[in-house]
Amino acid sequence: MSDTSIKGDIRAALSNENLRGALGRFADDYLESRQAAYRNKDFNDLRDKIAEIKSRAAGRMEELAERFAAEAARRGAKVFRAETAGQARDYILNLARERGVKTIVKSKSMASEEIHLNRYLAEAGMEVVETDLGEWIIQLCGQRPSHMVLPAIHMTRGQVAGIFSRETGEELPPEISRLVKVARENLRQKFLKAELGISGANIAVAETGTLVMVTNEGNGRLTTTLPPLHVAVVGLEKLVERFIDAVPILEALPRSATSQQLTSYVTMLTGPAPAVDASGSPVQKEMHIVLLNNGRTEMQSDPVFKEALQCIRCASCLNVCPVFQLVGGHVFGYVYTGSIGSVLTAFFNGLENAAEIQSLCLGCQRCKDFCPAKINLPRLINDLRTRIAQQSGLSLPQRLFLKKVLTNRSLFHGLLRAAAVGQKPFVKEGTVRHLPFFLAGQASVRNLPALAEEPLRNWFNRYAAREAEEKAGKGAAREADKRDSKQENNQETRKESKPQSKVESTTENKAGDAAEGAAYRAKTEKEAGRKTGSKARPRAGLFAGCLTDFIYPEIGISMVKVLESTGFEVVFPRGQTCCGYPARQLGAPEVMAEVARQNLAVFEDAGADYILTPCPTCTHALKNIYPELSAGDPALQARAAAMAGKVCDFAELVYRQIKDGTAPGLRLKALNKKVTYHDSCHLKRSLGITLEPRELLKTAGAKLVEMPYADRCCGFGGSYFLKYPELSAQILDQKLDCIRKTGAGLVAVECPGCLMQLRKGLKERGEKAVEARFLAEILADQL
Amino acid sequence: MAVPDLEVAKPGWEAGALYDTFKTNAGIVSARVDRAADNTEAALKIKEIILQTGAKKVVAAPSPLVDSLLPDDLWAAGTGPALHRKDLRRHAPDAGVGISAFDLAIVETGTLVQDATNLDCRLVSTLPPVHVALVPTDRIVPTLQDALELYGRDPDGLPPYLAFISGPSRTADIERVLTIGVHGPSELYIIFIDRPGGETV
Repeated sequence: MSDTSIKGDIRAALSNENLRGALGRFADDYLESRQAAYRNKDFNDLRDKIAEIKSRAAGRMEELAERFAAEAARRGAKVFRAETAGQARDYILNLARERGVKTIVKSKSMASEEIHLNRYLAEAGMEVVETDLGEWIIQLCGQRPSHMVLPAIHMTRGQVAGIFSRETGEELPPEISRLVKVARENLRQKFLKAELGISGANIAVAETGTLVMVTNEGNGRLTTTLPPLHVAVVGLEKLVERFIDAVPILEALPRSATSQQLTSYVTMLTGPAPAVDASGSPVQKEMHIVLLNNGRTEMQSDPVFKEALQCIRCASCLNVCPVFQLVGGHVFGYVYTGSIGSVLTAFFNGLENAAEIQSLCLGCQRCKDFCPAKINLPRLINDLRTRIAQQSGLSLPQRLFLKKVLTNRSLFHGLLRAAAVGQKPFVKEGTVRHLPFFLAGQASVRNLPALAEEPLRNWFNRYAAREAEEKAGKGAAREADKRDSKQENNQETRKESKPQSKVESTTENKAGDAAEGAAYRAKTEKEAGRKTGSKARPRAGLFAGCLTDFIYPEIGISMVKVLESTGFEVVFPRGQTCCGYPARQLGAPEVMAEVARQNLAVFEDAGADYILTPCPTCTHALKNIYPELSAGDPALQARAAAMAGKVCDFAELVYRQIKDGTAPGLRLKALNKKVTYHDSCHLKRSLGITLEPRELLKTAGAKLVEMPYADRCCGFGGSYFLKYPELSAQILDQKLDCIRKTGAGLVAVECPGCLMQLRKGLKERGEKAVEARFLAEILADQL
Repeated sequence: MAVPDLEVAKPGWEAGALYDTFKTNAGIVSARVDRAADNTEAALKIKEIILQTGAKKVVAAPSPLVDSLLPDDLWAAGTGPALHRKDLRRHAPDAGVGISAFDLAIVETGTLVQDATNLDCRLVSTLPPVHVALVPTDRIVPTLQDALELYGRDPDGLPPYLAFISGPSRTADIERVLTIGVHGPSELYIIFIDRPGGETV
């Protein structure tokens, strides 16, 4: 799919009211009904069991496949190991030809869709009938399923009535019960005459050679009962070792997929059961099981992607995905849809088919919370993104920027400062194009803030100098620190005057690398000295992140004020640069690793007890990704882990200080305002922070009103809002509606990206009664 | 097919309490649950259901329980619908009611379990619009896990076709509106029998 065609598809999907209405309503209902279905089960316990069972099975896939084949064969089934889609298709076609098959009934099978079986059999002159109601609708109108569990969710009863009227030659009213009856009557005739039934399976038990099918309509039972010949197409990932392993899967799959305790039918097939032909004479039932590889062993041998084999195809990752809710599986998917779809497509249908699909992922991580197989889908998609970027390559400007500019802090910041000056005549339009988030190369998006006249780092310099004057004489070591940073500041000013001259200065970086070790040793000694000396206040090192440093310095300033009043000493290590996360998102993890090394050295020098950043993505990067990136270098990893141990969220730290009584409590004027809180994706799902910001708001006297779906993404998603502005805007729109429902005049956030997005949306709506502010700002105002 | 020789009872499982909860849970998935003291009462209830549906033709999958409940002269000649126990591939497609016996009932999910290896069991429970399921009251287990543990004890003895049924056939494929009765029955009646094997009608 080309870039322009996917954008066209997005526009078409967004203007399809039926689709959006159906998907939107489903998304809302799903959360509630799913929760009700799990009321008597411990979801986390269940997903632990499934992850264990499926990962164990995936680890021994070949062994279990052999065992399954032997057991099923011992019970009379014929098992065919198909390495490729082509082999599977040929085997089934030849079998059907040999048996003189004319009509085939199928119950829903993703594996058969994956190998495009229907088209192949139909081209050979056979009548292939999908008997699952949704699949039949889709087949009759020549479409693709838009959802893995609900294939026709994008269609209305009126459209279905039209399709069925054409099929039956009878004018049918748009009444669902009538339409279902028509399907029953028409498909019943097909069942009764079919010579071959094709099904899939949800579980394949190696121990007993059993296939387990989970269905609701009864078509699965008919498919496996009436025709004397049955072919089951089963992907290798369906294997589990023991019969009893089916239990947690059967407990989770219906609850997660359709919010049922159990589906109407669960069918367990262990070898062929007796059959009769259409005239009623007993015949030898034939059962053929096609065990399909088609990329699965490749997935299994991949240290990262083998996790995707744990999937039980419940589609919860689709149901909770903000993007899927807008566009459905026709845009966000190939055969397999949504976030898991992009990963499966890469292995089953080729990386080229997955490239566009994965780019639709916002990175909000919501799917991770809902996966009953505990698959870390956001991580898999991230890795997929990297691989696609490595295969297809970054664009030249992207590569230049990431490798030459982002890894050279003074050059990067110099360019930013130059841009801040250069933007002046255009500030009214308010565009930012130069932060690493904005590298997608798109035209400007309206209603964005301008670069700040004075970045946080410069403000902090003045602030620190003033503080130093006030406390002159108290602690010579600290003074030395200040002089260090001033020197660096002067140096930087010099660089800023001629940014172009540094574009090729890679030698400077190498020198920097060499100096790193020495700086680390010097710092350790210095820190040791500081620790033995009088230590009045805990020291918080501020890692600003690009958005706060260069666009929203007031956030950082507010953090400093609140932290100081809670008894912290705040430092701003000047050598800090971008956390590198955007580079990883663009598929250049090596660039992130490079800036990680730089930031690590800088913060080791700062001797902070805590490291705070206003940006949850930066926090996630420093805390979780840096240690991962340095795997393979034990010394570096130990340093990254030491740093990660100090990294925490602002609200987390302040709340803890107040609660523990380890620092003077915040004395705040009562806010007396209705406030609602928006959970940022990374803050909630990468860092698990949900309680602390809310408690702090209450401490400030806010009347906290929860908005519906507070943890649903605002649509910012880093560069996403530039890459897919229409999608981002729609997701934002939903968020603003939720905010509005609370009647709150203030929405608090703890992420500068969310802040930018919400402010943009409020401005575009002309919403004057609601203001979006950063938590630290709200608190600082009440000091 | 006969009820497999599974030892169901465990200490602490009390049939009466299990039945009550089963009834609630199966009701949630639209099954209608009733209980008969013995075969005589069960047969009366079955006749009532058949009359209610107005079925002209009834099919029953032979099993010791079904056979003991439904004699050939269930109705005096010409006074009731035809009852077929043979040649079901021919009779089931246009029968109004299908009757079969089940091996287990699962409280947690309101589910019935049947060794459906015998083709007749499947024909009478898939093709007619009404399905009447008979279960001895002492064959109720609390959870799906309990049921699978019973069958899993003897992996070699697993029946070729093991069926789990929870309520009637259903779909939500058009506009996500729940609609009962697609390819399988639209009505499922479950009759528990406290003392099966007693007197027949």
